[in-house]
Amino acid sequence: MTRLTLDELAQLDELQTAYISALDGKKMRSWLDTFDEDPAASYICISRNDVENGLRIAMMLDDCRDRLIDRCTFVDDIWAGTFQDYRTRHFVQRVHASRRDDGQIEMTSNFSVIFTPDDTGLPQQLAAGTYEDVIRMEDGACRFLSRKAVTDNAVMPRYLVFPL
Amino acid sequence: MDVQEAYLRDIVWPANYNEIPKEIFNRQDLYQAEIARIFRGPEWHPVAHESEVPNPGDFKTCNLADVPLLVIRGDDGKVRVFFNACSHRSTQIEVKPSGNRKEFECPYHRWLFNSEGELVGCPNQREFIPGFEKKDYPLAQPRQESVGGLLFVTLSPDTESLDDFLQEAKGSLMEVMAGDGRLKLIGYHRVRYLTNWKAYSDNDGYHPPLLHQAFTMLNWQGGEGRQYATTGRGHYCIETKLTLPQPTNLIRDTSVIHFRDEGRPKSSSVLALFPMLVASNYLNVISIRFATPVAIDEVEVTYAYFAHEDDDEDMVLHRIRQSSNAIGPSGLISMEDASVFHRVQIGNRAPGNAIFQKGVADPSRLGFEFRQNDESANLPHWEYYRAAMGFRRTAA
Ligand code: FES
Ligand SMILES: [Fe+2]
Repeated sequence: MTRLTLDELAQLDELQTAYISALDGKKMRSWLDTFDEDPAASYICISRNDVENGLRIAMMLDDCRDRLIDRCTFVDDIWAGTFQDYRTRHFVQRVHASRRDDGQIEMTSNFSVIFTPDDTGLPQQLAAGTYEDVIRMEDGACRFLSRKAVTDNAVMPRYLVFPL
Repeated sequence: MDVQEAYLRDIVWPANYNEIPKEIFNRQDLYQAEIARIFRGPEWHPVAHESEVPNPGDFKTCNLADVPLLVIRGDDGKVRVFFNACSHRSTQIEVKPSGNRKEFECPYHRWLFNSEGELVGCPNQREFIPGFEKKDYPLAQPRQESVGGLLFVTLSPDTESLDDFLQEAKGSLMEVMAGDGRLKLIGYHRVRYLTNWKAYSDNDGYHPPLLHQAFTMLNWQGGEGRQYATTGRGHYCIETKLTLPQPTNLIRDTSVIHFRDEGRPKSSSVLALFPMLVASNYLNVISIRFATPVAIDEVEVTYAYFAHEDDDEDMVLHRIRQSSNAIGPSGLISMEDASVFHRVQIGNRAPGNAIFQKGVADPSRLGFEFRQNDESANLPHWEYYRAAMGFRRTAA
């Protein structure tokens, strides 16, 4: 494990803000663009309780790039017009980042997500937890090979439409 | 004590079987009465499947409405349900949602219970009431019975046997649990819905091809089947031949809707037991949704998912991948239900009656056999509720 340079940390911040802006702007294609082209690129959203108990069912288990693409189709096409829309604000704080021996970056961040449903107009806490990421940073590109959103919520206060 | 409850005086229950007064979703006094009559009364409530606590000392906590429960597999291999309350002064015994312990210690005065609920230690016992014996103070238990490993409890001594409560639904429940109930826990989804418990349990068979757009977009037709309701509680069940969608370009990873042969007839079942259980076996997803009211306009639902004991590792992985993304609170073919639960609760604040249409041939008669996409299958459940809560139907 090696320490990252300021430039590398700046690239991580850019990735992080691209991810946040995509979700807070409900732009699923931009969300997809934060993931690597690798067919094994993945996004998983799961509760910490379940992780600790060795249970693998997740709120969202997009464990390959095809499923990441399908996630965009679910939200933009299949579910369009059926859910109570809401807007999110993601607050993310990096708490660890280093380069592993295999060259990939691992990063951990805390997140807090506030959501405002269109129908009530009242902002509320949706989730809190950590992102556990593996990132490929090569040739000026910096994207998620995997992002795991582990929620401290044992219970979600409502159903999720958008990834966290 | 023949004073009539205010809700019985105020709410007019219509003459027709297909009309439900909306006021019942929003009356606080009625909600309190429902907790007493239904959740603490003579009904059976499923709380856990034995496979959720596979090893001695494994436990899970849950609530039956406001009553805290603790489910433990004992060292003798038996799964028991206890009240999550100390037999001394009733301090909550366990705070974690699940885990494993050899013994359960109450923090207040350090009474110690084993995994079978027996009191095995208490400090200063010599100064207790004369004749005190540990064996007289185990953790208290509600009445319990099980079918296919699914544990039910009731807080009333008057409830009939679980078999009589379930009637024909017992067979359907076994079907959902892969025929033999030999299940293996693979995970959970836990979510709150902002709706009254009755609106949550009123999810009908009419909506799937209409609300769930995945069926239309994937050109996915429902199979032949039947829907019935039991005569006692109005449990209702849809059993259909499983059909699969046409090959599609709409989604890239079709494993989410792929059916892997389980060596059993290809069918799908969705079962709703009075008052709140929904259990389904659909594609390769076996799910039991434990649900309980939290407040008049809020329910908590724990979707528990299972594999079968005989599954190989590939099949388990397939079930995990499918259960996660297909049929949960954020599932491809089910997310929309959640939104409807919320919106029905809001709409029910408007005055008047909710009127069922689809499959209602004669509003003055109650049926028990239905076509699979009829909403009328929910009516025997409503009729049982009406009678249980003491509402009088208006004369026709
Ligand atoms: S209340 Fe539990 S030991 Fe006293
Ligand atoms: Fe549905």
